[in-house]
Formats: sequence, C-alpha cells, structure tokens
Amino acid sequence: MIALTLLMTFSAVSASAQSKDRRKSFKSWDNYEITTEKVGVDGTKFVKVWGFGKTVDAATMAAKENAVHACIFRGIPGNSTAMSTPPICPNPDTLASHEDYFNTFFAPGGPYLAYVSMTTDGVPSGTDRRKVKGGYKVGIYVQVMYDNLKRKLEADGIARKLSSGF
Amino acid sequence: MLKRLILTATAAILCCSMTAQEKIKQVVTSDYNRNSVSMVAIQRGDSYDSATTSAVASFSPGEKFDINRINTKTLRISKLRSEAVYQSEVDGVVGGVGFAKEILASIFNRDSKGMMNDKTVRYRGNYDAKDQDVINARAARVGEDALGDLGQKLVAASYVVVNDFYKIERETDKRGKVYWSTNARAYAYKLDLDESSLYDFYEKCWIYDEDDEATRAAKISAFNNLAIGLVPVASASTSATSSTVEDAAAECLSGLITGLENQISDWEVAVTVSARRPLRAKIGTKEGLKNGDRYRAYSYREDNNGNLVSVPRGFLRATEVSSNTGMSIGETEPSEFYQISGLANIDEGWTIKQSNDLGLGVMAGIKTGSMGKLALAVDIDFLMDVKTGGSMSYALFSGSLDLKQAKYVPLFFGIGYGYGLHLSRFFEVMPYAMIGMDHIGYSSTDNSKDRFVRESALVLEPGVRAAVNVAYPLQVFVKAFVDWNPEFIQGSLYKLYNETVGHKSGFGLQAGLKWTF
Repeated sequence: MIALTLLMTFSAVSASAQSKDRRKSFKSWDNYEITTEKVGVDGTKFVKVWGFGKTVDAATMAAKENAVHACIFRGIPGNSTAMSTPPICPNPDTLASHEDYFNTFFAPGGPYLAYVSMTTDGVPSGTDRRKVKGGYKVGIYVQVMYDNLKRKLEADGIARKLSSGF
Repeated sequence: MLKRLILTATAAILCCSMTAQEKIKQVVTSDYNRNSVSMVAIQRGDSYDSATTSAVASFSPGEKFDINRINTKTLRISKLRSEAVYQSEVDGVVGGVGFAKEILASIFNRDSKGMMNDKTVRYRGNYDAKDQDVINARAARVGEDALGDLGQKLVAASYVVVNDFYKIERETDKRGKVYWSTNARAYAYKLDLDESSLYDFYEKCWIYDEDDEATRAAKISAFNNLAIGLVPVASASTSATSSTVEDAAAECLSGLITGLENQISDWEVAVTVSARRPLRAKIGTKEGLKNGDRYRAYSYREDNNGNLVSVPRGFLRATEVSSNTGMSIGETEPSEFYQISGLANIDEGWTIKQSNDLGLGVMAGIKTGSMGKLALAVDIDFLMDVKTGGSMSYALFSGSLDLKQAKYVPLFFGIGYGYGLHLSRFFEVMPYAMIGMDHIGYSSTDNSKDRFVRESALVLEPGVRAAVNVAYPLQVFVKAFVDWNPEFIQGSLYKLYNETVGHKSGFGLQAGLKWTF
C-alpha cells in the first residue's frame, strides 16, 4: 500500500513537472528547433524554425523571432549541403549587457521583422502545425537577411566588426 | 502483493508504450509524391490471352501515375483459367523477370549502348514539385534548377501491377444477346530500391562519355547483373460483365487500381488545406481528382511524450476540380471541397487524404401510406455531383414490399432524381421525383407474355427526404411523399387484385437508416 501511494505521488509530481516544463517552452528562448534547409541566396540564411504560441499566428511570430535570435545568439547548424553559421554575437553576455536594446529589437512589430521573411506557402500546415498543451507549435520556412542583420548590429555597436580587432 | 503490483504496472507501461509506438507509425502526413506504374498481364496459354493482354496494354491507370514503359508486358502462368493464380505463383514468375532492370532502363532512357540520361527523372521531379518546393527553390542559392533533383526520390516509387483474369464465362440473355463476365485480380509489386542502392546503381552502372571501353563493358555487365528485386505490396480483386471479353477485362482494371489504391497508402493523395470558406486544397486533375471524390481531414497534436499524433476530423468531397496539369510556378490553382462530416470545421493547414468510397447510399426502413399500410423498403442513392455550396445530385432507386398484403406480393420499384441541399453538413433536405411501378404478382398460373404489364401500374412519386448524420457514414432519414397512381395507368389484372390489396394515390412516409459506402 505504501509503495502504491509512493508510486502515485511520484507520478503526480512527475506529471506536474512535465506540465511546468511544457509551459516553459512557450516563453523560453532556450527551447526551439532550427535547421538549415538549403544554402540561401547571397546574404541570406534559409532555415526551418519552430515556435510556440497560444494561437497559430502567435506561434508563427515566435518562430520568426526565434530565427533572428538564432542568427544573433545561437548560430545555425549545418546540414549535408550547407555549412553551419556562427552567431553574430558569440559573447554569451551580449543579451544581458544590451537588454534594453534587444527588448526594443524583439518587441512585437519590432525592428527584427525587417530581417526575416516567411517563405512557407500559406499558413503553417500539415505536421508543421501541431496542437500542444496550451497552444500551438508550428514550423515555418524563413529567409533571414543575415548580412543586413549583421551590419545593423555592427552599426548599433552590439556586434563587433571583423575589422575592429585589427 | 507488492510483487504482483509491480509486475502489473510494468506490463501496463509496456503495453502503453507499444500502443504509443503503434500510433506513431500510423501518423497520416501530407507527404504525397507521384508514383509510376507498369501494367503487366498474365497469360494462361488459352484463347482469351489476346483479349486480356490487349485490355491491359491499352489501359491508362490515370493522370496521377507516371508510366514506366517496360519490355515485359506479359507473364506466362500455365494454369486453367477456371482458377485464380495465387500470390506465390505470381511471386515466382515475377522473380524470374528482371523487372527492376527494365524499370531503371525505362526511367533513365537506357539505349542499346548502355548510355543513360536523367531527362525523365528531372521532368518527373519538376512535374511533381509542389508550390512549397518552388518557393523553397527560389529562396535557395541553387534555384529552380534543383527542382529536377526531386525526381530522384520518385525512382523508388515505381510499381509493377500484374493483372490476372480468371473464370471468364460466356452468358446469353433471353433475347440471345451474348455477354462475357470475368473475375480479375491484381498484384502490386514495388521496386526494392533505397537511397544507398540507387547511389550504388549510379556508381556501378552509369556510363560517362569519357569512360574507356573496359569501364563501359564492366558497367554494362554490372547493369545486366543488377540484383534489385521487387517487393509484393498489395493485391485486389474485382469482376465485370460486358459484351466482349476485352471490354469486361478493361472494366475490371479501373476497379483493380482503386482496390490497390485503398491498400497502398503512398498511392493515396494527401495535401494540406490551403483555405477555408470555401475549403480549398492545391490538388486537381494532375492527381486524378474528380467531382465527388472523398477525402478525410486530419489535424495534429503532440501527446504528453511529445509524440506526433494525427487526429481524424471528418470527411469532405471534391466539388470544383482545378486543372493543374502543368509545372508548378508556386501559384497552383486549388480545387474546392465541401465538408460532409465531423464536429469541428475543417481548418486551413490541416491535412486531407484520399479516402475512396463508392458514393453509394443504401437505406433500409419502414414505409407507410396509401400504397401500403406497412412496407419494408430498401432505397439506394448514387451521388452524381457535388457543388461547393453543399448541394448534391443523386440518382435514386427504390424498392418496397407491402407486408400487410404479403400473399399478393405487392412490390414497388422506382427510379428517380434528387437534389440534396445541405442546411449544415449534418442535415440534408432533398426534394426528389420518382417514376415507379407498383406490381401485384398474384396470378401464379397465368403465363401470358403481357402478364407482368397487366399486373402493374405506373406510379409517380414526388417527395422530400431529410437526412441527419448520426455518426458518419450512418444517417437517419425520413421521407415524405405523394404517390400518384391513377386508374388510367393501371394494368387490368392490377385493377382486379388491387380491389383487395387497396393501393391508391395518397400521402406516405418512410423512415430508416442510411449507410454510405
């Protein structure tokens, strides 16, 4: 009986923890998937990125944010046809040290939108549009204007220019 | 006790895990690509061989398939045509033919010198490309030229369909007209070719202009010794009757393809919904879509373990079919659909997958009215046309037996036309008109030629049918109608017997269940 009670308690705690983890995925920038689709046209990165949101539209916007976030802070993994891309700001402290700048940059309708365009045909569809607890998880194809984004961050003094080390 | 509990829990977890794994396998996706087929006839060595072979050779499996033109068009199995051939017998014969070589030679346009090219593969890749592929290609540095590469994965989607006709029988009707009936069975085989064996094929068999004679000879030899097989994937049966053996065989073939389609998931067209109000999806004539074709909608969710699950969400039928038989330029004209079942409204982005049906509704119920106080009725409706607004045209067939006067065998048969209007997808109202014959077959000793006419009366039946979805394809229906059975269109014996039976013009009701096949 004691064993059964312990088992049930453990299951409940585990389920609750899973639920909390799931809720986290809606706001966390540590939990998104991004893959290189193909080598993009000059100055761009062509990726497939996932986002979470309460609605499909919100998840799509989150995915766009994630794509730009990955280019700035995480880098983009390579695949069989494309090399991996390093982050524009490899310094892990950049986000914290320029918090106000990035709050404005990634604000709803913020400047980040100028550097990303969705290339998904219509709305996210098929297996790229999944109902998850509390909302949707969508996968979209996007083109990130990587070179333009890099120039913008360099001009704003966020990223270091290559020439600045010499 | 604790040991038993742990054992039970472990078993339950294992069971759940296996069920979950099963579900993962069953996820329906919108990944559909064109398949290619080669049609082959089995010859038995009798007089029907030429007719059946000719029917298979001239048959086109439809716009959705590419055709691999191979040299082997017949297979010989010496067995009496009174029996079907078995899968094992066909497997044996198919294994002895180098179908894989023939298919690859056809796809890569191999000539007598062993030279090959990828023109067909690139054409098929471009033709199969969806709008998303075109948009992706434009966003990539390689550009739209890369669309042809999509044809590489279509090579493995090559099938051989082996068709056998058996129990071919000659029948003669009362007027002396001759009919032929045949049973047919098709066995589908898929090319057993994965990515690595395809690359192996390129490596060992592809001859380049700069190859010397020795290399060429080695590559030709490698091609001749290719060890790529075929895997049996499905079989289907049907039968047909027609005025000639060839026509009967030809009629069977489309039924066989539909039967195989129902079993080979890769043959079922799947696509995502591109718009709602009206429901639209980017498929059309290229995928063999026809008005009234039925599709099933699926949405996706992730379960608690993060596994993807496809959730069936109702059925829909094609209404306006777009002509998309050309290369995609990223702006494919979609076809329109009408949702016929499901609690939720089918939404943009959901997947729809082909789910063939006959479009045949069979109704059984009870009928009461002036043409019989209690009759057992069986109706059939055949869906002829569906409009985007939900209106549907039906051909109607009706039959009933008056149970109250059963010893006189009063039977009613009717044919008609109905126009169904959907107030919602759950509820259909159908005004209809029917012309029928009420027959009272009492005079068992009368053998005169016009007996049937004299025992019958013409009946006109306008009415309205209302049907409600219970759990698709099950519906409950009610029919209200007026039977008009005036004396001047009644046979002489009918009039006589009807004095006892008592059928007359008037109002009637019918209710029962409908199942759509």
